[in-house]
Amino acid sequence: MIRKPKILLAKVGLDGHDRGVKVVAKLLQTAGMEVVYLGIHQTSEAIVEAAMQEDVDVVGLSSLGGAHLQYAEKILGLMRERGLESVPVVLGGTLPVEDIPKLESAGIRAVFPAGTAGSEFTEIIRELAASRGEAL
Amino acid sequence: MAANNQNEKDDALLQAYFEKMEKPATWSGIPTNPFYSPADAGGFDYARDLGDPGRFPYARGVHADMYRGRMWTRREVCGFGSARDTNGRMRFQISQGVSGLSVIDDNNGSLTIDADHPLAVAEAGLQGVSVSSLRDMEDLFDGIPIDKVSVSFDLSGLDCIVWMAMYAAIARKRRIDLGELRGTIQNDTLHFQFCGYGASCPVELGIKSSVDIIEFCTRNMPRWYTGNANLYDMRENGLDASQEVAFGLSLASAYIEKAVERGLNVDDIAPRRAFYCSSHVDFFEEIAKLRAARRMWAKLMRDRFGAKDPKSLQFRFGVHTAGVSLYPQQPLNNAIRIAYEALAAVLAGAQSIHTCSYDEPIGLPTEVSQSLAIRTQQIIAYETGAARVADPLGGSWYIESLTNQIEKRALEIMAEIEKRGGMVAAIKSGWILSEIESAALRRQTEIENGEKIVVGVNAFRSERDASTPGGVHEVPAGQGEAIAASVRELKRSRDQRHVADALLRLHETARAGERANLLPALIDASNAYATLGEMMGTVRMAFGHPYDPMGVLEPPRL
Repeated sequence: MIRKPKILLAKVGLDGHDRGVKVVAKLLQTAGMEVVYLGIHQTSEAIVEAAMQEDVDVVGLSSLGGAHLQYAEKILGLMRERGLESVPVVLGGTLPVEDIPKLESAGIRAVFPAGTAGSEFTEIIRELAASRGEAL
Repeated sequence: MAANNQNEKDDALLQAYFEKMEKPATWSGIPTNPFYSPADAGGFDYARDLGDPGRFPYARGVHADMYRGRMWTRREVCGFGSARDTNGRMRFQISQGVSGLSVIDDNNGSLTIDADHPLAVAEAGLQGVSVSSLRDMEDLFDGIPIDKVSVSFDLSGLDCIVWMAMYAAIARKRRIDLGELRGTIQNDTLHFQFCGYGASCPVELGIKSSVDIIEFCTRNMPRWYTGNANLYDMRENGLDASQEVAFGLSLASAYIEKAVERGLNVDDIAPRRAFYCSSHVDFFEEIAKLRAARRMWAKLMRDRFGAKDPKSLQFRFGVHTAGVSLYPQQPLNNAIRIAYEALAAVLAGAQSIHTCSYDEPIGLPTEVSQSLAIRTQQIIAYETGAARVADPLGGSWYIESLTNQIEKRALEIMAEIEKRGGMVAAIKSGWILSEIESAALRRQTEIENGEKIVVGVNAFRSERDASTPGGVHEVPAGQGEAIAASVRELKRSRDQRHVADALLRLHETARAGERANLLPALIDASNAYATLGEMMGTVRMAFGHPYDPMGVLEPPRL
């Protein structure tokens, strides 16, 4: 039996806007994925630790506070240190389109600005999870 | 292949031409008829159900002369970077013709931690202005005549009482009588429980600090609004119009109740209470919602709290156009949504309006986007004629019918809240949060399945925009580090004995019981340049909570 794709969702930093990430969690679950939602106020270290412990296929970060670039770089760096570079990291929230290429070149595999359809991010996350399985 | 494509395009044109309105219900799901006649408006009695503007039950407005007496306050929520950065933007707003100011603090402020807290540095000045001490507050209001300008503090956690103290401290330094200060503090600590910041603001301590502000301002700052129940944030999470009204009025009642328990007279406090409402994108429904809220509040204050002063019965409200109705896709579309939402607020008789900027779902506003937001209000005020006559839609069979329906639905929800032991109990039990979370999911589902059309998002889409018109707000590299460094510098250079004494006195006051008002001791501690984190940490400990809401810092030895 193939295991369900397992996704870690977290809000990094102190931004408390958590409506979106909770909706995302529900939509991914409805689409048949296993979701671990860490909650608000997560440090970069805690997120990477959880990705390791939970052996997830994709890490999804929610950022509405404007600190997406600095947190993305920090988390990707920590993941490399822990040998987790094969786990794709995606990011969604409030951010300028101008930052999408910057996030992608830092190593974020997909960026979902507010308004992205659930069907769209669900598919991309599913594909990323599957590709991780192949990499193993 | 090419011919097939052509056929498809022609069919699409034909379909577009014959397209029908499919789901003729309001945003909140209230079914509507093709047209309305007197029979639909419920056979209302004009004097009993509406009344002239300025007369009970205030359905038509709280003032007889409405905007002829005073135009609504035009203000734009402002806050980013250091206090100096935000001061610069507020001066820019004044140069663009705003008639009031509105300040918001950053996440650190909401959580009452200082900018030099280990978890705070990266966040300093994001989403709001960084204020850690009176020194920042002095920079924030540098050159701004606080005895002349009305300022709204758009904050709701335990930061409220500290900001109130710092603002009072500045007034005293400038030898301005506190009675001269005009403005509003949101002071809705309860709503923090379902907006992602609950852990930093324990329910009982939050209520105590809210009532302290009400009491202090009632005695010393008669022109100040002591709180505006935040209906807006709840609506943003997906609640419908009736839920917004029901949850909001229940929330507002909770503070009146607690202040009366403290021993304050309802007619002394209620005239300085206000509301902070959403104006969402469904035009007529929003107007009806605000009219319904006005009528309901008047009856509730009279019947439940026995208020006598007409001012106690009046639902005065500021409007924030709905940020959640805005999308990053095709960002200029947002300017149009904002204009309609602001127009609805004016037709509904708002006392104050914040228009979002079109880049709201992208980042903090730029000068370009914020100017357009201000101009939007000015065009409504000076060109459209919408402000000329009070409640211009009153008597419309459709509007009156919608007003009645929203009132009826909202009353049912309020009865449900009462059944659950009132708003505070419904918050503590998690019921409010679960209602909000299921509403949020419902809204997303409506967009996913096309039940709600959002132009540029799930219909009429275009290629992804490569850039944001007017540019984007750039956060300077090293902003957080620089702000944190200035806080560390302050903590080294101030008179430490003075700080310790003030914090010890604050601790004693906080230990003296529920009724000992914290504000005088907080004003003294602010004057000593004790910081936000130190002051609230001291209070938190006195009430049996950890010093640091983030669980990192140890309390200092005093």
